[in-house]
Amino acid sequence: MALVELRRLCKSYPGVRALDDIGLTIGSGEFFTLLGPSGCGKTTLLRTIAGFNRQDSGEISVGGRPLDGVPAHRRDIGMVFQDYAIFPHLSVAGNVAFGLRNRRRPRAEIAQRVARALELVRLGGLGERMPHELSGGQQQRVGLARAMVISPQILLMDEPLSNLDAKLRIELREDIRDLQRSLGITTVYVTHDQEEALVVSDRICVMQGGKVHQVGTPWEVYVRPATLFVASFVGAMNLLSGLAVEAGGTVRLAGAPLQVPALAGLDNVTAAIRPEDVMVDPAAPGDGVVLGATVEKITFAGREAFYRTALADGTSLAVLIQRPTPELLGREGHAVRLVLPRGKLLFYDADGRLLGEPA
Amino acid sequence: MRGRRDIWTGVLALAFAVVAVFLVWPLFSVFTASFTDNRTGEVTLANYLKVLGHPYYLRALLNSIIVGIGGMIGAMLLGVPLAFLTSRYLVRGRDVIATLSVLALVSPPFIGAYAWIMMLGRNGWLREAMAEIGIELPSIYGLFGILLVFSLKFYPFVFLLTSSALAAINPSVEEAAENLGAGAWRRFFTVTLPLVFPAVSSGALLAFVLSLADFGTPSIVGGDFRVLATTAYNLFTSEMGGNPGLASTVSIVLIIVSMVVVAIQRRAVRRRNVEGSLVKRMAPRRLGPVSSVLAHLLCYGIVLASSLPSLVVIHTSFRKTSGPVFQPGFGLESYRRILHEVPHVITNSFVYSSLAVALIVILGTLIGYILTRREGVLSGALDSMLLVPYVVPGIVMGLGFVVTFNSPPLLLTGTATIIVLMLFIRRLPYAVRSSASILKQIRGSTEEAAISLGAAPGWAFLKVTLPLMLPGIMAGALMSFVTAINELSSSLILYVGRTMTMPVRIYLSVLDGEFGTAAALSTILLATTGIAVFLVFRYSGRKEGAFV
Repeated sequence: MALVELRRLCKSYPGVRALDDIGLTIGSGEFFTLLGPSGCGKTTLLRTIAGFNRQDSGEISVGGRPLDGVPAHRRDIGMVFQDYAIFPHLSVAGNVAFGLRNRRRPRAEIAQRVARALELVRLGGLGERMPHELSGGQQQRVGLARAMVISPQILLMDEPLSNLDAKLRIELREDIRDLQRSLGITTVYVTHDQEEALVVSDRICVMQGGKVHQVGTPWEVYVRPATLFVASFVGAMNLLSGLAVEAGGTVRLAGAPLQVPALAGLDNVTAAIRPEDVMVDPAAPGDGVVLGATVEKITFAGREAFYRTALADGTSLAVLIQRPTPELLGREGHAVRLVLPRGKLLFYDADGRLLGEPA
Repeated sequence: MRGRRDIWTGVLALAFAVVAVFLVWPLFSVFTASFTDNRTGEVTLANYLKVLGHPYYLRALLNSIIVGIGGMIGAMLLGVPLAFLTSRYLVRGRDVIATLSVLALVSPPFIGAYAWIMMLGRNGWLREAMAEIGIELPSIYGLFGILLVFSLKFYPFVFLLTSSALAAINPSVEEAAENLGAGAWRRFFTVTLPLVFPAVSSGALLAFVLSLADFGTPSIVGGDFRVLATTAYNLFTSEMGGNPGLASTVSIVLIIVSMVVVAIQRRAVRRRNVEGSLVKRMAPRRLGPVSSVLAHLLCYGIVLASSLPSLVVIHTSFRKTSGPVFQPGFGLESYRRILHEVPHVITNSFVYSSLAVALIVILGTLIGYILTRREGVLSGALDSMLLVPYVVPGIVMGLGFVVTFNSPPLLLTGTATIIVLMLFIRRLPYAVRSSASILKQIRGSTEEAAISLGAAPGWAFLKVTLPLMLPGIMAGALMSFVTAINELSSSLILYVGRTMTMPVRIYLSVLDGEFGTAAALSTILLATTGIAVFLVFRYSGRKEGAFV
């Protein structure tokens, strides 16, 4: 358990800036997730913390102790790998005991800690199995037990669930979250799956092109995405781009004017709103922009449904229907009235940065 | 991995030292000798003017190229149909065919050469038997014999490489071609063959380079047909005082021809690196009765013809002899004679090969590791240097060793050490490549997991990577042993009476017409080779590809 500090980390590969001036502080006991598309630098960052890469410049310290001169095997950092990296020639117990043997713990202590770790990951009694006798999900549980049993200062997880099928993924991510909570181990978790990140994390760091776009709680990242990239990467988002700002900060959404004082003085902006925030034919419109639209296509997904609507100027807008009914599903081709609540609209400047919310 | 220093930095330095002393230096010596006048010691182009201007040498150059191309074409003509038939159609006993071709591949080529002499030579039994029924077979001596031996010796390269490439083709691709209206022949030439082209050409290239480099075969069955390898040898060992300068020049020309061929093949396959995405294996198709009989005749004809020399040699070794003359019936005189006259030759062979293999395994595994897991400028340079022995014939390496290590501080000529080191450096690249390919199948993350759990890099290698590599290393070691114990050309240049090996003794016996003792020694080599191949099959879980 420790506070992890990353200061001004940079790392380039030929032609790519994998890490571009990364500065982060990860709290003790925190579940911290690096989220981003492939190639965003998240895995590079994780491997740099682990000591498998070396940064070109910048510093990493754990619990106030700088890590930069410490080789990977002395860093006391547990790691869970995307491809499990189970030692195929060792039994399950042999895998889990590996790190303790390197630390020259007494035999009895090793046996006891291995057994307990296997219990924790729900593999009790499977210690004598060989890895090839296990399913993918079980193998990753071995990987988890192996990394945790050494009680490392930090636990790193590199997309640990991405090789598993959907059902196992959900099951194991709950287990990972519960274990992390109960052990209180500082965890850095890498994923490209935004839903996974929202579910497991205390805080999320969204990365792209080697840069940090936003660091915040899942709520902050989802509700107030700091950049257009975050807005479109985390969850679904409607974007109305290239809106010219008129005098006094007025923009026109499909022709309907909306005055937003915070926009005054800017050239053009992008408006954003989540599909679940758009209201369809509400009884009382409240404070918002009212737009006429046509339902072009309806997609039914069980718990919810989606409308793809076309606004008067042809712009397409997705709308989430929370509780679909046969009546609501039968409206393909119909005209509807959409309300975009003022409080839910977000605006981004030409550089993709979030602007103050409309008052 | 910049700036990281651990045990692997030391290994890299050691590897560079070994390669510099035992590979670069000898070849550099050959290079400088080729520009040196033998008498005055001055720098001169005279050797090159002579080799490239005199019909005697130009003829040898031309003959070498003919032999290389001929051996390559022969290997392809036998290897491609064999691969295609056995992998696409139902041919019974595919394992038998693969095993026999592996045995043909690993048995020494000079054994094939003199066995064919016993069959088709001046008094060959096959020739005489055929003459009695009125069929006149061509004489084995000369180009025909060389190409016959090379084709039957080197087709397994093409066969094995092409077979594995064929197995890696996604069957849907061929089905798609069929679905789009391509018949069997059209499918073969427009889809299948282009997909396996890189494999076919690698096999063909190997056949070319090895045909070019081979010394034993042209020397035994060549007769007046001189090639560069035999010319270099004769120049060097000539009784009228050798001419190392001229021999070196011929060697350099030989290397250049090899390198040109390798470069052409690289160019040809560069844009054709076909990714094999193996979804499912193709089920072999059943052939009609007539086609099936023809296919079986062809497949078994090829592999039996290539095994014939070994059978002849084994049979000959048990024939009754009186001195060099064969008597009717069977007996163990030949074995008695070798045990009595040249027992040290047998022990030499086993001791030298074992020592060389021990060195090869240790350094080959470590270098293979550096090349796959520690990519960098230095390891890249090492990788390219290790390509050199592939294109340098044994005769040339032997020559380089003699001119380099015949004076202090490294006075090694005439010792067993020089032979062991020669075997070591000649086969090291093969071990490096095999260990690198084993490592590529072991995920790097396994070792990183060990490191993250507190194992130092060297310890992580010992505890995790090495155990996973072990079966592959054992198979590679056995293969190195087979090639080391069968090595003729370089040993022939380096041996003295005390350090003679079995292949050298066989070669000299054949020249003396002592076919009985040659056959007995050859049988020992064949038996050793056979046992090693059997063990490789056990260790590598029966993958014929392991032999290429």
